Amino acid sequence: MALQDRIAELQVREERARAMGGEEKLARRKAQGVLDARERINYFLDEGSFIESGLLGVSSVVPEDRDHTPADGKIAGFGRVEGRPVGLVSNDFTVKGASSSLTNMKKISHVKRVATERGFPLVFFGESSGARMPDNMGSRGMGTLLGNDASQYVRHRETPWATAILGQCYGSSAWYACLSDFTVMRKGAVLAVASPVLASLAIGQHVEPEELGGWELHSKVTGLIDRVAETDEEALDLVRTYLSYLPSHHNEPPPCLAPDSADDEPAAAVTDILPENRRRGYDVRKIISAVVDKSSFFELKPRFGRTAVTGLARLNGATVGVVANNPMFKAGALDVPGCEKITRFLVMCDSFNIPIVLLVDTPGFVIGIEGERMKAPGKIMNFMTALQMCTVPKLSVIMRKSYGQAYLNMGGGRNSDEVAAWPTAEVSFMDPEYAVQVVTWGRDLPEAEVDAIKREMDRDNEVWGLAEIYAAQAVIAPDETRQYLTRMLEIHSMRRSGGVGQHRLAAWPTTF
Amino acid sequence: MATTEVASEVTGSVWKVELEEGDHVDEGSVIMILESMKMEIPVEAPVAGKLVDVRVSPGESVEEDQVVCVIQS
Repeated sequence: MALQDRIAELQVREERARAMGGEEKLARRKAQGVLDARERINYFLDEGSFIESGLLGVSSVVPEDRDHTPADGKIAGFGRVEGRPVGLVSNDFTVKGASSSLTNMKKISHVKRVATERGFPLVFFGESSGARMPDNMGSRGMGTLLGNDASQYVRHRETPWATAILGQCYGSSAWYACLSDFTVMRKGAVLAVASPVLASLAIGQHVEPEELGGWELHSKVTGLIDRVAETDEEALDLVRTYLSYLPSHHNEPPPCLAPDSADDEPAAAVTDILPENRRRGYDVRKIISAVVDKSSFFELKPRFGRTAVTGLARLNGATVGVVANNPMFKAGALDVPGCEKITRFLVMCDSFNIPIVLLVDTPGFVIGIEGERMKAPGKIMNFMTALQMCTVPKLSVIMRKSYGQAYLNMGGGRNSDEVAAWPTAEVSFMDPEYAVQVVTWGRDLPEAEVDAIKREMDRDNEVWGLAEIYAAQAVIAPDETRQYLTRMLEIHSMRRSGGVGQHRLAAWPTTF
Repeated sequence: MATTEVASEVTGSVWKVELEEGDHVDEGSVIMILESMKMEIPVEAPVAGKLVDVRVSPGESVEEDQVVCVIQS
């Protein structure tokens, strides 16, 4: 065959692969307003930066499938986001439901290995029906395909992983979503172990897909996703935004925007947001937004564990992770979902050299039977251990209340590198509202004496005691917070290791 | 003309209703204050407009996600 003929054949094969599952299926998706797997890649990556890996791969298990499995249903390759390299797997649901088989598993494995060894993030566009049948059927099928990659589902957090759940995700695409550092879900998509059909067949449970694994369940109840998007495009934009805060790999510090592009306005609004009355709730997200670079706060899991707020932000252009109590919910008392959310966030920050800022206003941990049944003591210790094992800089600011064990968990004492407190801070083992009842329990004291005890407790809890014994290294006015944190981040930057931490949490689980 | 339902973000009880039906609200105006976990939790207007429907009264219990008032803008 002449060279030109061979080149022509290459073009024919490439076109066939790029046609995906055919015009009819692609048209149906378009009518639903859903992007196809290649449109998603084109939208997500910097223009023209995609270089595909395995375009001509097809089924290598069932011979009859060879002509019907373009790219074997999973499009893989490399590209750039804001000029930085990423590895990418985009499931093509129009080809056998993007089910997993031998060729496409090799593609994922290759892209993952390259991303890890060469040091750049890996991004998954999840939409897959699970393991392909009959390919994985029978003892030979199982022995040949699944289980032959000892690193398939290991999460070492050497480079960031992000997932957009953009359709039905069962099996591997669900697993990769759960292993990712950031997961966004488009409304209408599903993340579950197995499909509603299988649930119906196996256990007779008739359930709607959304009920089984929709955005409301995962954003509010399980916390398995970080954000919700209305459209494919919004979901992909959120992945790009997330990656903008992260380093390409764990051996470099996160990117820092040029100082002139960061907003350096003082946090003048903080005192307007913090209520005078210690019993008045406020949304701590307003304080975060007033402290960090304007519009830089990128909240994670906003609907889950709302007693705590976690998110990425920038201070003078540099990435920080913010952990804060939110007095709007349960008075800011940390519950089990709040602990789980913070623990997972600390693991991510520690793995990718992101300094942590803790903004404290909590009366303690939620107590009571519900929390105990959800293993609250274990969750509190997971959170505590995670904080103590973090080797990135940790800066704690006590804004108002910091009581009991929560004082330690939110960075009090030597549990952060610097503790600053506002003049409004109050610290003790227990809120005086309750402490006065405990110490006068069973004693018939006159009301005036009880009031006097409480007043003394209030005085003892004031910030000045903390400052005098150097348990707080500084007392700062709320409006000085931004300036203080910026300066302290500079002082605590990890010069000896080039801004790189020890990543002692990198192999921690992904769900708590 | 758009209507915006304002829902309680917490379970608790209504302590004070600060504004009346017909009042103008700015974004962030405190419409009412709930009590939950011994804390005062403000319910703020998510948008500017006119308060057209206040559905709860002081002392009443409210559930998370319950619509407590409506704004027309």
